[in-house]
Amino acid sequence: MDLLRFVLARLLRAIPVLLGVVVCVFLTIHLVPGDPVRIMMHGRISDEDVAAIYQQLGMDRPLIVQFFDFLRNAIVGDLGTSLIQKASVTTLVLEKLWPTLLLLSLSAVFSTLIAIPLSLLAAYHRDRWPDHAVRLGSIVGFAMPPYWIGLLLVLFFGIALNWFPIAGMGEGPVDNLYHMAMPALTISLFLGPVLIQSLRASMLDALTSEYVEVAMAKGLSDWQILTRHVLRNALIPVITVLAVNMSWLLSSAVVVEYVFGLPGLGSLLVRAVGYRDYPLIQGVSLIFAVIVIVINLLADLSYTLVDRRILKGKP
Amino acid sequence: MSSRSPCAPFAGVPRPLIFSSSRPEDADPFEHKFSFPKTLLTCEKTVGHVIKRWQSFGRWPRRSPASPQPGVGASRSRWSARRAGKDQSRKPGELNAMDRREFLIAGGVAGIALGMAPVRAQSGTIKRGGTITVARTDEALSLDPFVVSDNGSIYNIAQICEPLIMADETGRGLVPGVAESWTEAEDGLSIEFTIRDGIKFNNGAPVTVEDVIFSLTKVSDPQGSYGFAFNPLSSIDKIDDRTVKLTLSTPYAALKSALSLFAASIVSKEAYEKDPEAFGQAPVATGPFMVESYVRGTQVVMVRNPHYWMNGEDGEPLPYVDKAVLKYVPESNSRVLGLQNGDYDTSLAMPLNQAASVDDMDGVSLEVSPSFRLDYVYLNHGKAPFDDPKVRLAVNYAANRDAIMKAVYFGFGEIPNSYMPKVAFWSDAVEPIPFDMATAKQLVEESNYDGTPIQLMVDTGNASFRTAATILQQGWQQAGLNVEIVEYDVGTAFSMTEQGEFQAYVSYITSDINDDDELASIQAEGTGATRAFFSNYNDDEVNKLLSQARQESDREKRAELYARVQDKVYHAGYSVPLNFLPYVNGYHDYVRNWRNITVGWWWLRDMWLDK
Repeated sequence: MDLLRFVLARLLRAIPVLLGVVVCVFLTIHLVPGDPVRIMMHGRISDEDVAAIYQQLGMDRPLIVQFFDFLRNAIVGDLGTSLIQKASVTTLVLEKLWPTLLLLSLSAVFSTLIAIPLSLLAAYHRDRWPDHAVRLGSIVGFAMPPYWIGLLLVLFFGIALNWFPIAGMGEGPVDNLYHMAMPALTISLFLGPVLIQSLRASMLDALTSEYVEVAMAKGLSDWQILTRHVLRNALIPVITVLAVNMSWLLSSAVVVEYVFGLPGLGSLLVRAVGYRDYPLIQGVSLIFAVIVIVINLLADLSYTLVDRRILKGKP
Repeated sequence: MSSRSPCAPFAGVPRPLIFSSSRPEDADPFEHKFSFPKTLLTCEKTVGHVIKRWQSFGRWPRRSPASPQPGVGASRSRWSARRAGKDQSRKPGELNAMDRREFLIAGGVAGIALGMAPVRAQSGTIKRGGTITVARTDEALSLDPFVVSDNGSIYNIAQICEPLIMADETGRGLVPGVAESWTEAEDGLSIEFTIRDGIKFNNGAPVTVEDVIFSLTKVSDPQGSYGFAFNPLSSIDKIDDRTVKLTLSTPYAALKSALSLFAASIVSKEAYEKDPEAFGQAPVATGPFMVESYVRGTQVVMVRNPHYWMNGEDGEPLPYVDKAVLKYVPESNSRVLGLQNGDYDTSLAMPLNQAASVDDMDGVSLEVSPSFRLDYVYLNHGKAPFDDPKVRLAVNYAANRDAIMKAVYFGFGEIPNSYMPKVAFWSDAVEPIPFDMATAKQLVEESNYDGTPIQLMVDTGNASFRTAATILQQGWQQAGLNVEIVEYDVGTAFSMTEQGEFQAYVSYITSDINDDDELASIQAEGTGATRAFFSNYNDDEVNKLLSQARQESDREKRAELYARVQDKVYHAGYSVPLNFLPYVNGYHDYVRNWRNITVGWWWLRDMWLDK
């Protein structure tokens, strides 16, 4: 029950955030110069015809009316029609949501799988060569831009070894995962080091704490101490780091989607901005906001799984 | 070789910068919208280098040391010619000794012959079947010919749909398409088309006059993307079951060109009206291919249209291949690597810095074919200091185009002597403005330039144009002008240009037809709707010459008139032309009849796979 109330409270708090995002995006796209109709018609259209198209699309009405229209439709799931592609924004967004979500979740899994053992290794062997190696490796990983990592992976795993496809999504969920492995690894090699750094630091913190001394005094093995006590307590700050970075990675994913030719939300947004396709920009931004909110909610829920006391704490 | 081209490409519209045809290095304008950190901009070059090193270790098949970079101009056409008859030809660079005039003639001939030569050489050995996979730079937004105007969509639609009249294989003439024949009224005010007997849509339904009327009504809607091309069209009427009559309000010489536009494709009225959105996913039309599957942002898979009307050289219906997969691969390195890997049979728009290594790949050819593209700096004559012809000429004299050719284009292309792309009536007689700093300085001194910084606009993230702008900035500053480079995203930059809120803008233009009229007029006619394509250039004599050329039916006289226009506009410092840029593609040698035509797309209808 506590959990349910916790989730509901979080969801309620998300409403003003979403509203804020919608207002900001709506105002911003109307502030920047660029007219979708003229861009669409290559500048070769008379002012009267432009006006007629605006009227047809309802874009001649006051901004505030258009805004509330958008809001009212968005609530029932109708995000309007793309001006350029003449297709439902909801359809377009849903088409491209799966690759982006798959990429993000697979990246989160890979990053965690890379970060946990390596940071355990580093913390356990503090200031000895395994620690130095992990830290050096993570600095190198972090310093390499995802674009570059992606190209290197394509070059070696795609071309030289021919293990993975170099671009595209494939067909069917299994093939999707196979195609997504390298893009996700690219993001993970960038995100993993961030996790390693914070996980190692919080584990070192935990290692010096009293409960570890108690555990040692009780005669628990190193492995038990590390996994049961140290890792568990060190995870909370890491979940935060992961959540914050996952949200931030949405923008980084654009680059990775581009390198690997993935039909994700990022490329859809970039294209929509280029054409000043207002409904599509609004739709994709809204979905981005929802994704960020959901990621943060999931992070909050993960805290409670790691440490049940959080549920009992302040709401 | 079959006697006709596939459905005619988009006559009539010089698409402005943001929609224009593929750029060899940076085909998709949106590709440049990512603001990569500066260090990243060198990644592409580095990866190219890594690939070369890798090859040199012998892990990948390697044919010979890297060929010399093509020289400016001449070698570009040599590479094209090499593509036509690969075995006999020399390496690029060997033609550098050829003088300009020889090259121009050879280039012109090669350009015209390009479409036909390989086909003739290979006739009689055609193999049917197989799947061709093409890696492309831009995705198809929709396959509805009445909705889109972007290349990503158009080049797909061109394989699926056909108009009444189509361009011929040289791109210069018109041949029957869905219409078998036509009769023009003597007063030029009407034209009657007879629909091809027995022609069917890809769903097996016969093409009717109603379908033709429906399609032409859709494309001529003034609020549609190409409505302007059908302005004088006043009515479309059914005469009998196979004849349709188009009536015009005034004589309109460009009507047939307009009808050969991809947007004037004849589609099934029933299928379109039933569900336009479903139609946009899989058009019911008469082209050589039909859609098997279309995943937006990924690929379009096309299979042969079993009802296609045209026969190949072997007497069987075209196309020769069973299937064509057009994949969307925006990243240029992926296109190169995929070509090498064998994932793609053809990769379009090779990055110019890697073109030489692509040409060195075993079993792979580099196609360098002429395009209707011109990269140039737009100048706004309506704003100081470019309202002063002396400043406009000064920036031309102070433009180090050789440096730009090396640094930006890696030798691919030709330094232009025209304000517009090299279309049918381009003249080689117009004297190019040389790089001459002394003259530039003198012109600036004589001008009324007051030292206010000139804003040179570039699309954000477009590394090539940014480099070109930097080289221009250096030269212009030496000449005594103060220059700032400013960056805007492509949508904003286009919008500012359109509204006349710019001074200089590094961009490009392409022509979609093989006739100079549209582009010559849109760029230079000061009385037009776009104010000489946003330059505010207006010259009475030029306006008069253009109007004469439009009405002149004698080709030689037209050529003469356009040469005068070219000379006058170019030497008025209309713009700062930078490069006639070719298309640079890579394809495996077993892909036969592959050719990129000047207006931008390629023919899948009569290509075949020799493997």
